[in-house]
Amino acid sequence: MQAAIDKRRGVIDTFKRELIRRLNLPYTPEDLHEDVALLGAGLGLDSLDALEIVLCIENSFGIKIPDQNISVLRSINTVVDFVLAQKAESGAAA
Amino acid sequence: MKPSLFRDCFAKKNAAFSERFGAQVVSRVSDQKTEYLLVRDGFGLTDVSYMHRYSFPEDKGLDFLDALCAGNVAKVRFGRMLHTFIADEAGDLVADCYVANNDEQLVLLAESIMDDAAFKSMLLSRGAADAGMTDLSETHALLSVDGYKAWAVVKGLFGADVLGLPYLSVERYEFSGQPLSLFRAGKTSEFGYYLLAPAANAQDLFDACMAHAAESGGGPCGVDIHNDLRLEGRFFNIFAEGATVCDPLPLGLQWMIDFGKESFCGSKAIFERRAKGLSHKIIGVSASADANGFSKGAAVFNGSRKAGDIVAACFSHVLGAQVGLALLPVDIAFSGLAFSLGSKDGPEVQTISMPPIMPKSLTVKLDEL
Repeated sequence: MQAAIDKRRGVIDTFKRELIRRLNLPYTPEDLHEDVALLGAGLGLDSLDALEIVLCIENSFGIKIPDQNISVLRSINTVVDFVLAQKAESGAAA
Repeated sequence: MKPSLFRDCFAKKNAAFSERFGAQVVSRVSDQKTEYLLVRDGFGLTDVSYMHRYSFPEDKGLDFLDALCAGNVAKVRFGRMLHTFIADEAGDLVADCYVANNDEQLVLLAESIMDDAAFKSMLLSRGAADAGMTDLSETHALLSVDGYKAWAVVKGLFGADVLGLPYLSVERYEFSGQPLSLFRAGKTSEFGYYLLAPAANAQDLFDACMAHAAESGGGPCGVDIHNDLRLEGRFFNIFAEGATVCDPLPLGLQWMIDFGKESFCGSKAIFERRAKGLSHKIIGVSASADANGFSKGAAVFNGSRKAGDIVAACFSHVLGAQVGLALLPVDIAFSGLAFSLGSKDGPEVQTISMPPIMPKSLTVKLDEL
């Protein structure tokens, strides 16, 4: 269990830090619950912010998000799921 | 008990009524799955007149509401709404609320675990009378239209320009010759609107909305299904996890707080707890449809040790599984882990990422319809 937690925690920490920095959010990483909605409700980010989040993911993790895949951006946790799945896939391919 | 202002409308539809924190509510109109599908595929019409509702003149009400609410009311622009909460002096939740800036008026819509008299008394004790508070609870009825096709109902009532209203906005319209405030909000993760109209127009408003039922696949529903829809969409529910956990920080409600504000009701306690750091927080959990005992209050075990409790639970028709929220120590409150329910040998419970579903409404761009 601990290995899975450490792996996930690493991606969460990186993503939260970058999200706060890029969007200038008035929160600390500890303030952001991983299930908080990114768009609309919750953090209330808009479509321009969504583009910034996509860039944040691409630059932080070297992973591209398909144009139509907005479901990934539901929450921090759904972004982390996507990043971990993509990393696992690229690891398996290598 | 505060009576429902839509009682007769829903009674004619064979609705079941119950009491929730001193207010009469329509608990259900048909079975759980029917009401669930109304909202996910069409629209559900719900009597939300259990919500506390007050208006304030902007010049007097702004400072009062800003000192009361955790969010920054002063930043709410004309025509927009703020989703925030009200806490007591101990920093525990008493209400989940919206503050709308509506034509030189601030409107407070609140779901509270206090009854009407206690809630009003709390407001008055904080200076609501000096802030020019007007109680709308008996003079104005509040109806919600929620669902994938909710936009079609309000478009039919008020015209195509409603499609341009952004999430968390408010606009004034006329209905039956009387002013009506339309709030674009909701907590089902599908499109949602609250309609605030004079109580004398309640029946006409209900009938006008129901006139769209056949075309858009809608119908009346109760508040019980909203508990399930909120959980599945990971919207905060003060009547479920809120009433159990009470502390906004483990509930993940920091986004409702403006930490830059000097103070608000309960801020001292909340800021102290924030500085100390969290020991527990809620996390999404799921179990198979046939897992027995997956309900509020059930213990979650990590091996042979009890790790926490389930604080909200429902059945997700989209996932075909049971979904809930559990309060767990922060060091194990991560998605993707396996626990057991009730004992170390109980059914498996997985922690999951929330929200677990992609609502259909997120695939629709209203301004392009």
